Amino acid sequence: MLDILQAVSDGVLFGATYALIGIGFTLVFGVMHKLNLSYAAASVGSAYAGLLVLEVMAGAPAWLVFLCAFAAGGALGYAVYLTCFHFIPLRSPLATLMATVGMLLLIDEVIVHATNGMPQAYPAIFDDVMLRAGAFTLRGDLLLVFGVAVLCMIALMVLLYRTRLGLATRAVSQQSVAAQLCGIRVGQVNAMTFVITGLLGGIAGALIGASVGALSPLLTTPLTVKGLIVTVIGGLGSIPGAIVAGLLVGGFENVLQHFRGVTERDLYVMLLLFAFLVFRPDGLFATKGGRD
Amino acid sequence: MAPLLEVRDLVTAYGKIEALRGVSLAVQEGSITCLLGPNGAGKTTLMFSIAGILRPRRGSIRLGARDITGRAPHVIVAAGIALVPENRLVFANMSVLENLRAGAYQRRGGAEIESDIERLMLRFPRLRERAAQNAGTLSGGEQQMLAVARALMSRPRLLLMDEPSLGLAPLVVEEIFRIIAELHRDGTTILLVEQNAHLALQVAQHFYLIEQGKVSFSGSPGALAEDEVIRRAYLGSAAR
Ligand SMILES: Nc1ncnc2c1ncn2[C@@H]1O[C@H](COP(=O)(O)OP(=O)(O)OP(=O)(O)O)[C@@H](O)[C@H]1O
Ligand SMILES: [Mg+2]
Repeated sequence: MLDILQAVSDGVLFGATYALIGIGFTLVFGVMHKLNLSYAAASVGSAYAGLLVLEVMAGAPAWLVFLCAFAAGGALGYAVYLTCFHFIPLRSPLATLMATVGMLLLIDEVIVHATNGMPQAYPAIFDDVMLRAGAFTLRGDLLLVFGVAVLCMIALMVLLYRTRLGLATRAVSQQSVAAQLCGIRVGQVNAMTFVITGLLGGIAGALIGASVGALSPLLTTPLTVKGLIVTVIGGLGSIPGAIVAGLLVGGFENVLQHFRGVTERDLYVMLLLFAFLVFRPDGLFATKGGRD
Repeated sequence: MAPLLEVRDLVTAYGKIEALRGVSLAVQEGSITCLLGPNGAGKTTLMFSIAGILRPRRGSIRLGARDITGRAPHVIVAAGIALVPENRLVFANMSVLENLRAGAYQRRGGAEIESDIERLMLRFPRLRERAAQNAGTLSGGEQQMLAVARALMSRPRLLLMDEPSLGLAPLVVEEIFRIIAELHRDGTTILLVEQNAHLALQVAQHFYLIEQGKVSFSGSPGALAEDEVIRRAYLGSAAR
Protein backbone atom coordinates (compact mmCIF):
# COMPACT_ATOMS: atom_id res chain seq x y z
CA MET A 1 0.00 0.00 0.00
CA LEU A 2 2.70 2.41 1.01
CA ASP A 3 4.68 1.75 -2.14
CA ILE A 4 1.66 2.72 -4.24
CA LEU A 5 1.33 5.96 -2.29
CA GLN A 6 5.03 6.56 -2.77
CA ALA A 7 4.82 5.93 -6.50
CA VAL A 8 1.77 8.20 -6.87
CA SER A 9 3.33 11.06 -4.94
CA ASP A 10 6.65 10.90 -6.79
CA GLY A 11 4.76 10.70 -10.07
CA VAL A 12 2.44 13.59 -9.29
CA LEU A 13 5.36 15.79 -8.25
CA PHE A 14 7.17 15.03 -11.49
CA GLY A 15 3.86 15.34 -13.37
CA ALA A 16 4.00 19.09 -12.72
CA THR A 17 6.55 19.28 -15.56
CA TYR A 18 4.10 17.50 -17.86
CA ALA A 19 1.50 20.02 -16.80
CA LEU A 20 3.81 22.87 -17.86
CA ILE A 21 4.47 21.25 -21.23
CA GLY A 22 0.73 20.63 -21.65
CA ILE A 23 0.01 24.29 -20.84
CA GLY A 24 2.43 25.31 -23.58
CA PHE A 25 0.65 23.22 -26.19
CA THR A 26 -2.80 24.21 -25.02
CA LEU A 27 -2.17 27.95 -24.73
CA VAL A 28 -0.84 28.23 -28.27
CA PHE A 29 -3.76 26.16 -29.45
CA GLY A 30 -6.22 28.31 -27.54
CA VAL A 31 -4.87 31.55 -28.97
CA MET A 32 -4.03 30.56 -32.55
CA HIS A 33 -5.97 27.33 -33.05
CA LYS A 34 -2.71 25.78 -34.22
CA LEU A 35 -0.47 23.05 -32.87
CA ASN A 36 3.17 23.81 -32.21
CA LEU A 37 4.72 20.35 -32.40
CA SER A 38 8.22 21.69 -31.77
CA TYR A 39 7.29 22.85 -28.28
CA ALA A 40 8.61 19.97 -26.19
CA ALA A 41 11.80 19.80 -28.26
CA ALA A 42 12.31 23.54 -27.83
CA SER A 43 11.81 23.11 -24.09
CA VAL A 44 14.49 20.43 -23.93
CA GLY A 45 16.69 22.55 -26.21
CA SER A 46 16.32 25.52 -23.85
CA ALA A 47 17.27 23.33 -20.91
CA TYR A 48 20.41 22.39 -22.85
CA ALA A 49 21.06 26.06 -23.48
CA GLY A 50 20.98 26.54 -19.71
CA LEU A 51 24.00 24.24 -19.47
CA LEU A 52 26.01 26.79 -21.47
CA VAL A 53 26.31 28.75 -18.24
CA LEU A 54 28.51 25.95 -16.91
CA GLU A 55 30.77 26.26 -19.97
CA VAL A 56 31.34 29.94 -19.31
CA MET A 57 31.43 29.71 -15.55
CA ALA A 58 32.42 26.35 -14.17
CA GLY A 59 30.66 25.54 -10.92
CA ALA A 60 27.83 28.02 -11.52
CA PRO A 61 24.91 27.39 -9.17
CA ALA A 62 21.98 25.34 -10.40
CA TRP A 63 19.52 28.24 -10.17
CA LEU A 64 21.63 30.18 -12.64
CA VAL A 65 21.39 27.27 -15.07
CA PHE A 66 17.60 27.26 -14.59
CA LEU A 67 17.42 31.01 -15.15
CA CYS A 68 19.41 30.71 -18.34
CA ALA A 69 17.13 27.90 -19.56
CA PHE A 70 14.14 30.13 -18.78
CA ALA A 71 15.54 33.01 -20.82
CA ALA A 72 16.62 30.73 -23.67
CA GLY A 73 13.08 29.31 -23.71
CA GLY A 74 11.59 32.74 -24.30
CA ALA A 75 14.05 33.51 -27.09
CA LEU A 76 13.55 30.14 -28.72
CA GLY A 77 9.77 30.57 -28.43
CA TYR A 78 10.00 33.81 -30.37
CA ALA A 79 12.26 32.18 -32.95
CA VAL A 80 9.73 29.38 -33.42
CA TYR A 81 6.97 31.96 -33.85
CA LEU A 82 8.93 33.81 -36.53
CA THR A 83 10.07 30.76 -38.47
CA CYS A 84 6.98 28.56 -38.19
CA PHE A 85 4.08 31.02 -37.96
CA HIS A 86 4.82 34.66 -38.75
CA PHE A 87 6.03 34.19 -42.30
CA ILE A 88 3.86 31.20 -43.10
CA PRO A 89 0.28 31.54 -44.36
CA LEU A 90 -1.94 30.81 -41.35
CA ARG A 91 -4.87 29.99 -43.61
CA SER A 92 -3.34 26.71 -44.65
CA PRO A 93 -3.66 24.36 -41.68
CA LEU A 94 -0.87 21.99 -42.70
CA ALA A 95 1.76 24.62 -43.50
CA THR A 96 2.40 25.72 -39.93
CA LEU A 97 2.04 22.19 -38.59
CA MET A 98 4.72 20.88 -40.94
CA ALA A 99 6.93 23.87 -40.20
CA THR A 100 6.84 22.98 -36.51
CA VAL A 101 7.63 19.33 -37.30
CA GLY A 102 10.64 20.61 -39.23
CA MET A 103 11.62 22.73 -36.25
CA LEU A 104 11.28 19.71 -33.95
CA LEU A 105 13.69 17.72 -36.13
CA LEU A 106 16.07 20.66 -36.42
CA ILE A 107 16.26 21.18 -32.67
CA ASP A 108 16.82 17.45 -32.18
CA GLU A 109 19.66 17.46 -34.69
CA VAL A 110 21.30 20.51 -33.18
CA ILE A 111 21.24 18.87 -29.75
CA VAL A 112 22.71 15.63 -31.10
CA HIS A 113 25.48 17.49 -32.93
CA ALA A 114 26.34 19.75 -30.04
CA THR A 115 26.58 16.90 -27.54
CA ASN A 116 27.65 14.05 -29.83
CA GLY A 117 24.47 12.36 -28.71
CA MET A 118 25.84 11.82 -25.20
CA PRO A 119 23.56 12.46 -22.21
CA GLN A 120 24.59 15.54 -20.23
CA ALA A 121 24.49 15.65 -16.44
CA TYR A 122 22.01 18.28 -15.18
CA PRO A 123 22.33 20.10 -11.86
CA ALA A 124 19.56 19.80 -9.28
CA ILE A 125 18.58 21.85 -6.26
CA PHE A 126 17.80 20.23 -2.88
CA ASP A 127 18.79 16.79 -4.17
CA ASP A 128 20.40 16.15 -0.79
CA VAL A 129 17.17 16.89 1.09
CA MET A 130 14.79 14.09 1.94
CA LEU A 131 11.59 14.49 3.97
CA ARG A 132 10.63 11.28 5.79
CA ALA A 133 7.47 10.09 7.48
CA GLY A 134 8.19 6.53 8.46
CA ALA A 135 9.00 4.65 5.27
CA PHE A 136 7.30 7.32 3.14
CA THR A 137 9.70 9.88 1.68
CA LEU A 138 9.48 13.04 -0.30
CA ARG A 139 12.51 13.86 -2.44
CA GLY A 140 13.64 17.44 -1.93
CA ASP A 141 14.52 17.94 -5.58
CA LEU A 142 11.10 16.71 -6.69
CA LEU A 143 9.42 19.01 -4.18
CA LEU A 144 11.39 21.88 -5.65
CA VAL A 145 10.38 20.86 -9.16
CA PHE A 146 6.76 20.82 -8.08
CA GLY A 147 7.04 24.13 -6.23
CA VAL A 148 8.68 25.94 -9.13
CA ALA A 149 6.13 24.54 -11.57
CA VAL A 150 3.24 25.70 -9.37
CA LEU A 151 4.82 29.15 -9.08
CA CYS A 152 5.04 29.33 -12.87
CA MET A 153 1.38 28.37 -13.19
CA ILE A 154 0.34 31.01 -10.67
CA ALA A 155 2.44 33.60 -12.49
CA LEU A 156 0.77 32.62 -15.76
CA MET A 157 -2.70 32.94 -14.24
CA VAL A 158 -1.86 36.37 -12.83
CA LEU A 159 -0.56 37.38 -16.24
CA LEU A 160 -3.68 36.13 -18.01
CA TYR A 161 -6.28 37.43 -15.57
CA ARG A 162 -4.72 40.55 -14.08
CA THR A 163 -2.82 42.29 -16.86
CA ARG A 164 -3.55 44.16 -20.06
CA LEU A 165 -1.58 41.62 -22.10
CA GLY A 166 -3.57 38.83 -20.47
CA LEU A 167 -6.84 40.53 -21.35
CA ALA A 168 -5.68 40.85 -24.95
CA THR A 169 -4.58 37.21 -25.03
CA ARG A 170 -7.93 35.96 -23.77
CA ALA A 171 -9.77 38.29 -26.13
CA VAL A 172 -7.87 36.97 -29.15
CA SER A 173 -8.43 33.36 -28.13
CA GLN A 174 -12.17 33.87 -27.67
CA GLN A 175 -13.01 36.09 -30.61
CA SER A 176 -10.13 37.23 -32.73
CA VAL A 177 -12.18 39.46 -35.06
CA ALA A 178 -13.73 41.30 -32.12
CA ALA A 179 -10.28 41.57 -30.53
CA GLN A 180 -9.03 43.30 -33.68
CA LEU A 181 -12.04 45.61 -33.62
CA CYS A 182 -11.02 46.59 -30.09
CA GLY A 183 -7.63 47.66 -31.44
CA ILE A 184 -5.76 44.60 -30.18
CA ARG A 185 -2.91 43.56 -32.47
CA VAL A 186 -3.37 39.86 -33.03
CA GLY A 187 0.14 39.37 -34.42
CA GLN A 188 1.67 40.87 -31.29
CA VAL A 189 -0.48 38.74 -29.02
CA ASN A 190 0.48 35.62 -30.98
CA ALA A 191 4.17 36.44 -30.69
CA MET A 192 3.87 37.12 -26.96
CA THR A 193 2.05 33.81 -26.50
CA PHE A 194 5.06 32.05 -28.00
CA VAL A 195 7.49 33.95 -25.80
CA ILE A 196 5.47 33.18 -22.68
CA THR A 197 4.98 29.50 -23.45
CA GLY A 198 8.66 29.37 -24.40
CA LEU A 199 9.65 30.73 -20.98
CA LEU A 200 7.46 28.10 -19.32
CA GLY A 201 8.95 25.41 -21.55
CA GLY A 202 12.52 26.47 -20.69
CA ILE A 203 11.74 26.09 -17.00
CA ALA A 204 9.93 22.79 -17.59
CA GLY A 205 12.92 21.44 -19.53
CA ALA A 206 15.33 22.46 -16.78
CA LEU A 207 13.10 20.92 -14.11
CA ILE A 208 12.94 17.68 -16.07
CA GLY A 209 16.72 17.67 -16.44
CA ALA A 210 17.09 18.34 -12.74
CA SER A 211 14.76 15.59 -11.59
CA VAL A 212 16.10 13.00 -14.04
CA GLY A 213 19.65 14.13 -13.33
CA ALA A 214 20.57 14.30 -17.00
CA LEU A 215 19.34 15.46 -20.40
CA SER A 216 19.40 13.39 -23.53
CA PRO A 217 18.09 14.04 -27.05
CA LEU A 218 16.05 10.87 -26.54
CA LEU A 219 13.81 12.94 -24.25
CA THR A 220 12.22 15.07 -26.94
CA THR A 221 9.96 12.54 -28.66
CA PRO A 222 8.42 10.97 -25.54
CA LEU A 223 7.97 14.45 -24.06
CA THR A 224 6.23 15.67 -27.20
CA VAL A 225 3.88 12.69 -27.04
CA LYS A 226 3.25 13.17 -23.30
CA GLY A 227 2.60 16.87 -23.79
CA LEU A 228 0.04 16.13 -26.50
CA ILE A 229 -1.59 13.42 -24.40
CA VAL A 230 -1.86 15.83 -21.48
CA THR A 231 -3.36 18.45 -23.80
CA VAL A 232 -5.97 16.05 -25.15
CA ILE A 233 -6.88 14.58 -21.75
CA GLY A 234 -7.14 18.06 -20.24
CA GLY A 235 -9.22 19.37 -23.12
CA LEU A 236 -7.68 21.34 -26.00
CA GLY A 237 -7.29 24.96 -25.00
CA SER A 238 -7.94 24.45 -21.28
CA ILE A 239 -5.16 25.47 -18.89
CA PRO A 240 -6.76 23.98 -15.74
CA GLY A 241 -7.30 20.84 -17.80
CA ALA A 242 -3.61 20.68 -18.72
CA ILE A 243 -2.61 21.09 -15.07
CA VAL A 244 -4.90 18.33 -13.80
CA ALA A 245 -4.07 16.04 -16.71
CA GLY A 246 -0.32 16.59 -16.25
CA LEU A 247 -0.46 15.56 -12.61
CA LEU A 248 -2.78 12.67 -13.48
CA VAL A 249 -0.50 11.32 -16.20
CA GLY A 250 2.56 11.78 -13.98
CA GLY A 251 1.03 9.81 -11.11
CA PHE A 252 -0.50 7.18 -13.38
CA GLU A 253 2.67 6.41 -15.29
CA ASN A 254 4.79 6.22 -12.18
CA VAL A 255 2.46 3.70 -10.53
CA LEU A 256 2.54 1.54 -13.65
CA GLN A 257 6.28 1.92 -13.87
CA HIS A 258 6.46 0.70 -10.30
CA PHE A 259 4.41 -2.40 -11.02
CA ARG A 260 5.13 -3.15 -14.66
CA GLY A 261 8.52 -1.58 -15.29
CA VAL A 262 9.68 1.36 -17.34
CA THR A 263 9.41 -0.44 -20.69
CA GLU A 264 5.71 -1.19 -20.32
CA ARG A 265 4.61 2.04 -18.67
CA ASP A 266 4.02 4.12 -21.79
CA LEU A 267 1.77 1.39 -23.12
CA TYR A 268 -0.60 2.06 -20.24
CA VAL A 269 -0.39 5.80 -20.73
CA MET A 270 -1.51 5.19 -24.31
CA LEU A 271 -4.37 3.06 -23.03
CA LEU A 272 -5.36 5.90 -20.70
CA LEU A 273 -5.40 8.25 -23.67
CA PHE A 274 -7.45 5.73 -25.62
CA ALA A 275 -9.97 5.48 -22.80
CA PHE A 276 -10.31 9.26 -22.77
CA LEU A 277 -10.72 9.44 -26.52
CA VAL A 278 -13.51 6.87 -26.37
CA PHE A 279 -15.36 7.98 -23.25
CA ARG A 280 -14.51 11.66 -22.98
CA PRO A 281 -13.14 12.83 -26.31
CA ASP A 282 -13.33 16.52 -25.38
CA GLY A 283 -11.11 15.97 -22.36
CA LEU A 284 -11.61 16.80 -18.71
CA PHE A 285 -12.35 20.47 -19.20
CA ALA A 286 -13.95 20.81 -22.60
CA THR A 287 -13.87 24.47 -23.61
CA LYS A 288 -17.21 25.15 -25.19
CA GLY A 289 -16.97 28.84 -25.91
CA GLY A 290 -13.21 28.55 -26.50
CA ARG A 291 -13.38 29.87 -29.99
CA ASP A 292 -16.15 30.15 -32.52
CA MET B 1 -19.06 70.58 -45.70
CA ALA B 2 -16.53 67.80 -46.20
CA PRO B 3 -17.89 64.47 -44.96
CA LEU B 4 -16.41 62.69 -41.92
CA LEU B 5 -16.19 59.42 -43.82
CA GLU B 6 -15.73 59.19 -47.54
CA VAL B 7 -15.58 55.88 -49.39
CA ARG B 8 -14.65 55.98 -53.09
CA ASP B 9 -14.96 53.24 -55.71
CA LEU B 10 -14.22 50.56 -53.17
CA VAL B 11 -13.61 47.04 -54.47
CA THR B 12 -13.22 44.18 -51.97
CA ALA B 13 -13.03 40.54 -53.00
CA TYR B 14 -13.00 37.11 -51.42
CA GLY B 15 -10.56 35.30 -53.68
CA LYS B 16 -11.85 35.82 -57.20
CA ILE B 17 -15.34 36.88 -56.17
CA GLU B 18 -15.79 40.64 -55.85
CA ALA B 19 -18.27 41.31 -53.05
CA LEU B 20 -17.92 45.10 -53.41
CA ARG B 21 -17.74 46.28 -57.01
CA GLY B 22 -16.98 49.98 -56.70
CA VAL B 23 -18.91 51.37 -53.73
CA SER B 24 -18.88 55.09 -53.02
CA LEU B 25 -20.57 56.76 -50.10
CA ALA B 26 -20.17 59.63 -47.67
CA VAL B 27 -21.18 60.11 -44.05
CA GLN B 28 -21.65 63.67 -42.78
CA GLU B 29 -20.35 64.57 -39.35
CA GLY B 30 -23.06 64.26 -36.70
CA SER B 31 -25.48 62.39 -38.95
CA ILE B 32 -27.06 58.96 -38.94
CA THR B 33 -26.49 57.43 -42.34
CA CYS B 34 -28.20 54.19 -43.10
CA LEU B 35 -27.15 51.36 -45.39
CA LEU B 36 -29.95 49.11 -46.63
CA GLY B 37 -29.80 46.10 -48.88
CA PRO B 38 -30.76 42.47 -49.30
CA ASN B 39 -28.81 39.51 -47.90
CA GLY B 40 -25.47 39.08 -49.56
CA ALA B 41 -25.42 42.63 -50.96
CA GLY B 42 -22.04 43.32 -49.38
CA LYS B 43 -22.99 45.38 -46.33
CA THR B 44 -20.86 43.44 -43.87
CA THR B 45 -18.03 43.33 -46.38
CA LEU B 46 -18.14 47.13 -46.55
CA MET B 47 -18.12 47.43 -42.74
CA PHE B 48 -15.15 45.06 -42.46
CA SER B 49 -13.32 46.94 -45.21
CA ILE B 50 -13.75 50.26 -43.40
CA ALA B 51 -12.72 48.72 -40.06
CA GLY B 52 -9.58 47.19 -41.57
CA ILE B 53 -10.55 43.53 -41.08
CA LEU B 54 -10.71 43.10 -44.86
CA ARG B 55 -8.23 44.72 -47.22
CA PRO B 56 -9.83 46.42 -50.22
CA ARG B 57 -8.43 45.75 -53.69
CA ARG B 58 -9.05 49.21 -55.06
CA GLY B 59 -10.59 52.50 -54.09
CA SER B 60 -10.08 54.69 -51.07
CA ILE B 61 -11.44 55.32 -47.60
CA ARG B 62 -10.92 58.65 -45.89
CA LEU B 63 -11.71 59.67 -42.34
CA GLY B 64 -11.72 63.46 -42.31
CA ALA B 65 -8.52 64.48 -44.05
CA ARG B 66 -6.82 61.16 -43.41
CA ASP B 67 -6.50 58.29 -45.87
CA ILE B 68 -7.06 55.05 -43.97
CA THR B 69 -7.40 52.67 -46.94
CA GLY B 70 -5.99 49.25 -46.18
CA ARG B 71 -4.69 50.20 -42.75
CA ALA B 72 -4.62 47.64 -39.93
CA PRO B 73 -7.61 47.52 -37.55
CA HIS B 74 -5.67 48.92 -34.59
CA VAL B 75 -4.69 51.97 -36.66
CA ILE B 76 -8.30 52.50 -37.65
CA VAL B 77 -9.53 52.21 -34.06
CA ALA B 78 -6.90 54.75 -33.07
CA ALA B 79 -8.06 57.03 -35.90
CA GLY B 80 -11.52 57.05 -34.32
CA ILE B 81 -13.68 54.37 -35.94
CA ALA B 82 -15.41 51.63 -33.96
CA LEU B 83 -17.54 48.81 -35.37
CA VAL B 84 -20.37 47.03 -33.60
CA PRO B 85 -20.08 43.82 -35.63
CA GLU B 86 -22.86 41.71 -37.04
CA ASN B 87 -23.82 38.97 -34.54
CA ARG B 88 -22.31 41.08 -31.73
CA LEU B 89 -19.18 38.93 -31.26
CA VAL B 90 -18.89 39.55 -27.53
CA PHE B 91 -16.10 37.81 -25.62
CA ALA B 92 -18.30 35.04 -24.25
CA ASN B 93 -15.98 33.82 -21.48
CA MET B 94 -15.11 37.26 -20.18
CA SER B 95 -17.18 39.30 -17.77
CA VAL B 96 -19.19 42.29 -18.95
CA LEU B 97 -16.64 44.56 -17.27
CA GLU B 98 -13.72 42.86 -19.02
CA ASN B 99 -15.51 43.17 -22.34
CA LEU B 100 -15.76 46.91 -21.75
CA ARG B 101 -12.10 47.16 -20.73
CA ALA B 102 -11.15 45.31 -23.90
CA GLY B 103 -13.05 47.97 -25.83
CA ALA B 104 -10.79 50.57 -24.24
CA TYR B 105 -7.67 48.54 -24.99
CA GLN B 106 -5.81 51.33 -26.77
CA ARG B 107 -6.61 54.01 -24.23
CA ARG B 108 -4.29 54.88 -21.37
CA GLY B 109 -5.46 56.36 -18.12
CA GLY B 110 -7.38 53.93 -15.90
CA ALA B 111 -9.41 56.59 -14.09
CA GLU B 112 -10.94 57.98 -17.27
CA ILE B 113 -11.72 54.49 -18.52
CA GLU B 114 -13.44 53.63 -15.27
CA SER B 115 -15.51 56.80 -15.38
CA ASP B 116 -16.54 56.00 -18.97
CA ILE B 117 -17.60 52.53 -17.82
CA GLU B 118 -19.59 54.22 -15.08
CA ARG B 119 -21.33 56.48 -17.61
CA LEU B 120 -22.13 53.59 -19.94
CA MET B 121 -23.59 51.62 -17.06
CA LEU B 122 -26.02 54.50 -16.53
CA ARG B 123 -27.01 54.34 -20.17
CA PHE B 124 -27.27 50.54 -20.12
CA PRO B 125 -28.59 49.66 -16.65
CA ARG B 126 -28.90 45.99 -17.59
CA LEU B 127 -25.13 45.84 -17.99
CA ARG B 128 -24.61 47.18 -14.50
CA GLU B 129 -26.71 44.37 -13.05
CA ARG B 130 -24.65 41.85 -14.99
CA ALA B 131 -21.24 43.52 -14.65
CA ALA B 132 -19.46 40.49 -13.16
CA GLN B 133 -21.31 37.92 -15.26
CA ASN B 134 -19.75 36.24 -18.29
CA ALA B 135 -20.96 37.83 -21.51
CA GLY B 136 -21.92 34.42 -22.88
CA THR B 137 -24.67 34.16 -20.26
CA LEU B 138 -26.40 37.36 -21.36
CA SER B 139 -29.55 37.43 -23.47
CA GLY B 140 -29.28 38.43 -27.13
CA GLY B 141 -30.49 41.95 -26.40
CA GLU B 142 -28.09 42.38 -23.50
CA GLN B 143 -25.23 41.12 -25.65
CA GLN B 144 -26.15 43.70 -28.27
CA MET B 145 -26.08 46.47 -25.64
CA LEU B 146 -22.70 45.17 -24.54
CA ALA B 147 -21.37 45.18 -28.10
CA VAL B 148 -22.49 48.80 -28.51
CA ALA B 149 -21.02 49.80 -25.15
CA ARG B 150 -17.76 48.02 -25.93
CA ALA B 151 -17.44 49.92 -29.21
CA LEU B 152 -18.15 53.22 -27.44
CA MET B 153 -15.33 52.52 -24.97
CA SER B 154 -12.79 53.53 -27.63
CA ARG B 155 -14.47 56.97 -27.81
CA PRO B 156 -14.99 56.80 -31.57
CA ARG B 157 -15.62 59.76 -33.86
CA LEU B 158 -17.55 57.41 -36.11
CA LEU B 159 -19.62 54.46 -34.94
CA LEU B 160 -20.34 51.70 -37.45
CA MET B 161 -23.23 49.38 -36.58
CA ASP B 162 -23.89 46.19 -38.53
CA GLU B 163 -27.49 45.01 -38.11
CA PRO B 164 -27.82 45.73 -34.40
CA SER B 165 -31.46 44.58 -34.38
CA LEU B 166 -30.72 41.17 -35.93
CA GLY B 167 -32.66 38.39 -34.23
CA LEU B 168 -34.00 40.53 -31.40
CA ALA B 169 -37.55 40.79 -30.07
CA PRO B 170 -39.52 43.91 -31.16
CA LEU B 171 -39.31 45.54 -27.73
CA VAL B 172 -35.54 45.11 -27.63
CA VAL B 173 -35.25 46.46 -31.18
CA GLU B 174 -37.12 49.56 -30.03
CA GLU B 175 -34.70 49.98 -27.16
CA ILE B 176 -31.75 49.67 -29.53
CA PHE B 177 -33.19 52.37 -31.76
CA ARG B 178 -33.86 54.59 -28.76
CA ILE B 179 -30.17 54.26 -27.88
CA ILE B 180 -29.15 55.03 -31.45
CA ALA B 181 -31.26 58.21 -31.32
CA GLU B 182 -29.69 59.14 -27.98
CA LEU B 183 -26.16 58.63 -29.29
CA HIS B 184 -27.07 60.80 -32.27
CA ARG B 185 -28.37 63.52 -29.97
CA ASP B 186 -25.05 63.43 -28.09
CA GLY B 187 -23.28 64.15 -31.37
CA THR B 188 -22.00 60.69 -32.36
CA THR B 189 -21.74 60.12 -36.10
CA ILE B 190 -23.29 56.78 -37.05
CA LEU B 191 -23.22 54.57 -40.14
CA LEU B 192 -25.96 52.01 -39.60
CA VAL B 193 -26.56 48.81 -41.53
CA GLU B 194 -30.13 47.71 -41.04
CA GLN B 195 -32.62 45.19 -42.38
CA ASN B 196 -35.50 46.92 -40.67
CA ALA B 197 -35.92 49.63 -43.29
CA HIS B 198 -38.97 51.14 -41.65
CA LEU B 199 -37.19 51.92 -38.37
CA ALA B 200 -33.96 52.86 -40.10
CA LEU B 201 -35.63 55.47 -42.30
CA GLN B 202 -37.15 57.05 -39.21
CA VAL B 203 -33.79 57.78 -37.58
CA ALA B 204 -31.57 58.37 -40.61
CA GLN B 205 -30.88 61.67 -42.34
CA HIS B 206 -29.48 59.94 -45.37
CA PHE B 207 -29.61 56.41 -46.73
CA TYR B 208 -27.93 54.23 -49.31
CA LEU B 209 -29.34 51.17 -51.00
CA ILE B 210 -26.72 48.61 -51.84
CA GLU B 211 -27.38 45.68 -54.15
CA GLN B 212 -24.92 43.09 -55.42
CA GLY B 213 -21.89 45.05 -54.33
CA LYS B 214 -22.99 48.39 -55.78
CA VAL B 215 -24.85 51.41 -54.49
CA SER B 216 -28.13 51.41 -56.42
CA PHE B 217 -29.75 54.42 -54.82
CA SER B 218 -28.97 57.12 -52.31
CA GLY B 219 -30.95 59.99 -50.91
CA SER B 220 -32.79 61.35 -47.91
CA PRO B 221 -35.54 59.19 -46.41
CA GLY B 222 -38.28 61.05 -48.31
CA ALA B 223 -36.60 60.60 -51.68
CA LEU B 224 -38.09 57.22 -52.45
CA ALA B 225 -41.48 55.79 -51.41
CA GLU B 226 -40.99 53.67 -48.33
CA ASP B 227 -42.57 50.54 -49.74
CA GLU B 228 -40.23 50.78 -52.73
CA VAL B 229 -37.21 51.09 -50.41
CA ILE B 230 -38.40 48.18 -48.32
CA ARG B 231 -38.98 46.01 -51.35
CA ARG B 232 -35.53 46.70 -52.71
CA ALA B 233 -33.85 46.43 -49.33
CA TYR B 234 -35.26 42.96 -48.81
CA LEU B 235 -35.42 41.56 -52.28
CA GLY B 236 -33.20 43.62 -54.52
CA SER B 237 -34.42 45.44 -57.61
CA ALA B 238 -34.22 42.28 -59.72
CA ALA B 239 -37.35 40.89 -58.03
CA ARG B 240 -40.22 42.78 -59.55
N1 LIG C 1 -15.67 34.86 -46.00
C1 LIG C 1 -16.26 34.87 -47.23
N2 LIG C 1 -15.75 34.13 -48.23
C2 LIG C 1 -16.32 34.14 -49.47
N3 LIG C 1 -17.39 34.87 -49.79
C3 LIG C 1 -17.94 35.63 -48.83
C4 LIG C 1 -17.39 35.67 -47.50
N4 LIG C 1 -18.15 36.51 -46.76
C5 LIG C 1 -19.11 36.97 -47.58
N5 LIG C 1 -18.98 36.45 -48.83
C6 LIG C 1 -19.84 36.75 -49.98
O1 LIG C 1 -19.79 38.13 -50.23
C7 LIG C 1 -21.07 38.64 -50.55
C8 LIG C 1 -21.43 39.77 -49.60
O2 LIG C 1 -21.53 39.25 -48.28
P1 LIG C 1 -21.84 40.17 -47.03
O3 LIG C 1 -21.71 39.33 -45.81
O4 LIG C 1 -21.02 41.38 -47.12
O5 LIG C 1 -23.37 40.52 -47.28
P2 LIG C 1 -24.39 41.31 -46.36
O6 LIG C 1 -24.94 42.40 -47.18
O7 LIG C 1 -23.74 41.68 -45.08
O8 LIG C 1 -25.51 40.20 -46.11
P3 LIG C 1 -26.43 39.95 -44.82
O9 LIG C 1 -27.58 40.87 -44.92
O10 LIG C 1 -26.87 38.52 -44.97
O11 LIG C 1 -25.60 40.16 -43.62
C9 LIG C 1 -22.02 37.46 -50.46
O12 LIG C 1 -22.25 37.01 -51.75
C10 LIG C 1 -21.28 36.44 -49.67
O13 LIG C 1 -21.63 35.15 -50.09
MG1 LIG D 1 -24.10 41.24 -43.15
